[in-house]
Amino acid sequence: MTESRTTAAHGGAIGLHGIKKWFGNFQAVDNVTLDIRPNEFFTLLGPSGCGKTTLLRMIAGFEMPTEGQVLLDGADISGLLPNQRPVNTVFQNYALFPHLTVAENIGFGLKMLGRSKAEITSVVNDMLKLVHLDGRGHNPVTQLSGGQQQRVALARALAPRPKVLLLDEPLSALDLKLRKSMQIELKRLQLETGITFVFVTHDQEEALTMSDRIAVMSAGTVRQVGSPWDIYDRPAERFVADFIGETNFLSADVVSVADNRARVRLSSGAEISASFPADVTPSGSVTVVVRPEHARAGAPTDTSALRGVVHDIVYLGTDTHVHVHLDDGTAFMVRQQNARSGHCGFSKGDTVGIDFSDDVAQILRD
Amino acid sequence: MNGAEQVAIEARKQDIRSRWLLSAPALIIIFVAAIGPLFVMLLYSFLVKGDYGDVKPWEFSLDGWTSVFFQRDIFDDTLGLADAHVSIIWRSIQLSFFTTILTLILGFPTAYFIATRPPHTREIWVFLVTIPFWTNLLIRTFAMQQVIRNEGLLNNALIWLGIIKSPLQIIYTDTANLLGMTYVYLPLMVLPLYASIEKLDFRLVEAGYDLYATRFQVLRKIVIPLVKPGIIAGSILVFIPSLGAYVIPRVLGGGKNMMLGNLIEMQFGAGRNWPLGAAMSITLMILVMVALIVYVRNASRGGSGHV
Repeated sequence: MTESRTTAAHGGAIGLHGIKKWFGNFQAVDNVTLDIRPNEFFTLLGPSGCGKTTLLRMIAGFEMPTEGQVLLDGADISGLLPNQRPVNTVFQNYALFPHLTVAENIGFGLKMLGRSKAEITSVVNDMLKLVHLDGRGHNPVTQLSGGQQQRVALARALAPRPKVLLLDEPLSALDLKLRKSMQIELKRLQLETGITFVFVTHDQEEALTMSDRIAVMSAGTVRQVGSPWDIYDRPAERFVADFIGETNFLSADVVSVADNRARVRLSSGAEISASFPADVTPSGSVTVVVRPEHARAGAPTDTSALRGVVHDIVYLGTDTHVHVHLDDGTAFMVRQQNARSGHCGFSKGDTVGIDFSDDVAQILRD
Repeated sequence: MNGAEQVAIEARKQDIRSRWLLSAPALIIIFVAAIGPLFVMLLYSFLVKGDYGDVKPWEFSLDGWTSVFFQRDIFDDTLGLADAHVSIIWRSIQLSFFTTILTLILGFPTAYFIATRPPHTREIWVFLVTIPFWTNLLIRTFAMQQVIRNEGLLNNALIWLGIIKSPLQIIYTDTANLLGMTYVYLPLMVLPLYASIEKLDFRLVEAGYDLYATRFQVLRKIVIPLVKPGIIAGSILVFIPSLGAYVIPRVLGGGKNMMLGNLIEMQFGAGRNWPLGAAMSITLMILVMVALIVYVRNASRGGSGHV
């Protein structure tokens, strides 16, 4: 990688201010305000129809917001056409030009910008190297495999050196192995090019793997913005906790609050400490979440936080899921990493006690 | 040779026989309806013309062919270029070419418009385009005559609006032929264009805009190369019948602006020169074939395009 590329500090901050988007009577985006930092890997995560792609298309310029502004490095670009924005997109289906070769596809943007032949050739060659397609420049794109087409699409979008690269579920058409290696590849490209990446996906694992920050979206609104570990370990509300990973929901009563921690009493009578979202002062009855891998199941003791009966045991290779029916009727799952010795030590119908360390519980916003 | 082999060979023979039998209907139609008449025409073009039309059977001569492009001088019997024939053939080629261009210019935006409507309304638009086909060609041509003749709709309207003082002479000119053919053959251009624009992946258009292309560049670099099959099909469908057009130049072009179709008809009718008519028909076919080959070659060469 050339020095200029790694050191290029060329902005790329996106500001979305009070964005609303209506399609007829359907509101796709409802008052979204987000600030995406320069050279950040920012992910819009949410189920299909949550408005994440619409938001991306508004940054690209394919859709105009009904209300609100799109800013690029502080300047309002809401009124600019897609070809006037220094922003490029990697499309979900790649949208490669089937009548052009690999090199012609990659050089298309520069050609439209009126760059010289020599510059285009040299950038295209750099790009081919960057995405490991050296020597494939003269191939028709239609003869490439899915993974290779994906990399051509990336190179094509990166070649004009945009300030922001938009990626619309670019990995969804690839098989699992290829997807994993492309995730690493994307992260590498983002670090090497210094370009802001805005990535749209419904795959929470993809989001957690690659992102610097994630915005979790639902029904046209942003539910929570934060780093992957914030989102995973400190979900602010039920939707976020439920959408990302597997979670146990427990009802509890707040006993006391001090220093950003709360003492809550579970239905079993045990008291544990829990964290809570910064903008909430918990009181009364609340919902507490605990990730399955943060809980341990064992023989019931007097100090066990929860007690229940094993309902099902699912062996998954790396770990085992122990499904427990708690005494108060709620379902609870414990994920235990498997040792070589095999069996987890329980069988269906056993009574077990469940314990967790003090800092694993999180109180949700109502 | 053992018994099993014998049976196998017998079965193969049976197989081949039934294959021929099954394709017989298609073969008969091809020979009787297409290749047969062609051979009859080829034969006639090499015969001597009869005194009152028809031909003298089995008297061969090249006169039919030579008189396509040449004529004998009445006085000294030397061969000279048949100016009338050459100019009619040239006019036919020119008019067909311009008809193709004109239908393409008019048809492309039409087809693009239809293809970009919501799916359920597209059918209505396509249906509207095909409505003229319900009316006989002759009637449509006479309707066109009513519009463009000197006291016709167009001239009257222009005079009434004060744009012109005296009527424009459109009828009985090449312009009339061009207008008539463009009107009649336009749907033949729109339909194949629509079919290929409808299949166009409009995400590619978005990708073009995303990569800094202007509207014109998107059209030239992305849309046109991708709908080229439709452009080729439409151009062929318009060019071929234009070259052989008969009714339209007869009604709108008048006697002075004949096209190849009228010239051929004349040889079989008033001219009483069937060998010449047959030779001209084959000439027309060759022209069409050459045009097709040149066109398709050029089009497919451009297809592997450059950015």
